[in-house]
Amino acid sequence: MTVQVLVFWLLALVAILGALGVVAARNPIHSAIGLVLSFLNVAAIYLIARAEFLAVVQVIVYAGAVIVLVVFVTMLVHPDDLPEFHGRRPLRIATGLVLGLALLAEVSAAILAHGLRGTPGPWTDDTIAAVGGNTRALGQVLYSDFMLAIQLTALLLLAATIGAIALARPEAVSERLAAARRVMTISLAHPRGLDQPALPAALPEPQNGRVKEAGGGRPIVLARTADEFTEQPAWGEWRAR
Amino acid sequence: MTELSATHFLLLSAALFIIGMVGVLTRRNVLVIFMCIELMLNAVNVSLIGFAWELHQLTGQIFALFVIAVAAAEAVVGLGIVMALTRRTDTVDIDELRQLRE
Repeated sequence: MTVQVLVFWLLALVAILGALGVVAARNPIHSAIGLVLSFLNVAAIYLIARAEFLAVVQVIVYAGAVIVLVVFVTMLVHPDDLPEFHGRRPLRIATGLVLGLALLAEVSAAILAHGLRGTPGPWTDDTIAAVGGNTRALGQVLYSDFMLAIQLTALLLLAATIGAIALARPEAVSERLAAARRVMTISLAHPRGLDQPALPAALPEPQNGRVKEAGGGRPIVLARTADEFTEQPAWGEWRAR
Repeated sequence: MTELSATHFLLLSAALFIIGMVGVLTRRNVLVIFMCIELMLNAVNVSLIGFAWELHQLTGQIFALFVIAVAAAEAVVGLGIVMALTRRTDTVDIDELRQLRE
């Protein structure tokens, strides 16, 4: 048992503990912290495997950018939704654990039973050092043999950026008004609706018996039911749950 | 097992991948499921780099680089979908998101 193997097992142990923390933590922020722990230890393992450039990329892209995005979105989601939800599903958890353990046993058996067979390539430590390090060697191979692939990756990143902008763009007010007008229009500023001949028979009861008074300049609230007043709470500050 | 070999990397990769898989199967929060998918992609990188190290090749490292790029794109689009979901349906519970099915 060399020092290298000991260090590897130590890093692997912490990475696996972090991964278990991702799955087990009830708070998504704690899951994100476990994910950072796992990513950083995996980056250190990349260093053992002489993939220095990928270790740095792992820290910057995964432990940096992706985790920041995840935490940002977690903060944006309404805090009521964050703890794991009412009613655990013991059957589902048991099924997942049994399936996972069975698959782990199978895969471990397959890995331990068969040795690795393959023809070693030219990139030993000496040849990589002769080229000028891991990053230079990687760049040489990447921009000669994988030219098309890296350009397609650039295209993919561009498409993903455009898609994310399209997905996360808030609906324009005019679109929301048009969608609401197709359903029903109630103007709380007037006793009668704008498009409707009369108010519907059953208007929902205001919560707490309190209705915001119609101040001047307040926008017209368009909704089908009281549940839709979540963005512009005209019936008090309660959320439909 | 006394010398470091690709077997070690493969075992670690399998453990991380299966932990992520169990998380995807059992958790109900969309954000946690998303993190578990990142974990699984990362596990694949570990085995690719282990192979590359054992066989003195750089192709495995380049594949891992592409996996990281695709994972970044997936993160951006996936979190955009989560944002759109929470804005429209006000929940991140995977059991309540059934609009596509019904």
